[in-house]
Amino acid sequence: MSTSRAKATLLILVLVFTAAIGTRAASGADGFRIIVSPDNPVGSLDRRFLTDVYLKKTTRWASDEAIRPVDLGPGSPVRRAFSDDVLRRSVSAIKSYWQQMVFSGRGVPPPELDNDGQVVRFVLKNRGAIGYVSDGADVAGAKIVPVR
Amino acid sequence: MAVPKAGAAEIGDPGSPSAIDVHGFVSQGYIKSTSNNYLVDSTGGGSFEFSEAGLNFTVQPLDRLSIGVQLFAYNLGTSGNFTMRADWFYLDYHLRDWLGIRAGRVKLVYGLYNDISDIDAARTPILLPSSIYPLTNRNLLFGVQGGEVYGYVRIGRAGALEYRAMGGAIDIPLPSQIGQSAEASNIDIPYLAAGRLMWETPLEGLRLGVSGVALRLNEDLFFPADSATESARDTLYSYVASIEYVAHDLQLAAEYAQARSEVRELAPTPMPIPTVVSSGGYALATYRVARWFQPGAYFSFTYANRNLGAQSDTPVNNMLTTNDENVQDDLAGTLRFDINSFWIVKLEGHYMHGTEALGAVPTEDQKSCLFLIKTTGYF
Repeated sequence: MSTSRAKATLLILVLVFTAAIGTRAASGADGFRIIVSPDNPVGSLDRRFLTDVYLKKTTRWASDEAIRPVDLGPGSPVRRAFSDDVLRRSVSAIKSYWQQMVFSGRGVPPPELDNDGQVVRFVLKNRGAIGYVSDGADVAGAKIVPVR
Repeated sequence: MAVPKAGAAEIGDPGSPSAIDVHGFVSQGYIKSTSNNYLVDSTGGGSFEFSEAGLNFTVQPLDRLSIGVQLFAYNLGTSGNFTMRADWFYLDYHLRDWLGIRAGRVKLVYGLYNDISDIDAARTPILLPSSIYPLTNRNLLFGVQGGEVYGYVRIGRAGALEYRAMGGAIDIPLPSQIGQSAEASNIDIPYLAAGRLMWETPLEGLRLGVSGVALRLNEDLFFPADSATESARDTLYSYVASIEYVAHDLQLAAEYAQARSEVRELAPTPMPIPTVVSSGGYALATYRVARWFQPGAYFSFTYANRNLGAQSDTPVNNMLTTNDENVQDDLAGTLRFDINSFWIVKLEGHYMHGTEALGAVPTEDQKSCLFLIKTTGYF
């Protein structure tokens, strides 16, 4: 490779990394609350239990009811906050995890809904459901569960 | 900025147990090498004969029962030729989190990534390290027809254990050429046993594991030059030790594998063939700098015969004759660009020394470079 081509490649790489770091710094994060059905007897939830639920490694409540987690879309700042704080991985890393599971036949990801209202309705409609909504969302009777 | 949205196509009420999840992908790659056309004839102007496509359906008709199937086709040089086949299909009964039973055709569990080796979107590198996941053996990566038990158990403060154990047979599509002088009239794996145990340690994101496979390989080969046919019955035992750490946007992984190959029967001309112990491993790192950009790199090494190292000219199974044919080192770097949530583009470069992992092709140079571009659309 000629010296000028090597310099051009290096310059492009520097620009790509700089742009990537710039967009990363621009990312913000919002607060969230965990909600379940009002019929669900659970009082609080361990963070690692929540991680297992959203990675579908744990699929049953203590009552043997099937757990039905629901996500917000990948562009949601609330999803980003939940992913960073609870799952300890970025949304992109979680998407990558589910691509591995989906295409190897190991499982399918939780459904992605568009907004807080849809998550609340899903949780109220399904006894085993669990979701997260933004701090200020109207939970309309859904049960808010603290995370330990 | 508006972000294009794509996800699984769900037929039915989203999230309802009766909904059918539909996912798919299509990939097109370009390969350019300086020599040693082990994947495809890619010197000169390079080659676009590097394509994959898959479509899968999953449904949960009952509370603990799920059914799935994935159709897959690929083209890589002279192999694949876009022949559609069922990559996997299964009936899965998930009795408890610690016990599930699956029957059908399941992906062979081996190391951290064998079951995603066909899926470009599910990883950062275009080519997984050839020391553990050689692309030239991809027919072995197709599903095991048989059954599997699996489970996941939390063990308090010690973390969690995840296990998978399977048994069955593999139907191998016939390659046109074996080595440089033989044609195959039959190749099959009539039985195998495989398993993996992973320990999710108390340090979140760190997991350690070991996996192993034992199999019988039957080969009937025809040598046109001598008009002779030979039948070999081999056994292969292999294990992989794995470590992976994933936290936020960082992924670190390393694996070491050893395989022991024994020729049990050789007809019609029995001859002593030594047992061969091969080994290999790699270390990999990726970091997602931004949602749309993830660079990665790995170093991979392979020994065809572990006892020879790079210091002997002794043949291995009458096929390998020089030092450099016994080893291969591969230094690779990848740039993954997630253009949006359903389209990725990757650039990758390899610097290779030695030719062991290049498979059964004429090799020209002991040092070579490989450059790949691949784009994948998925949902």
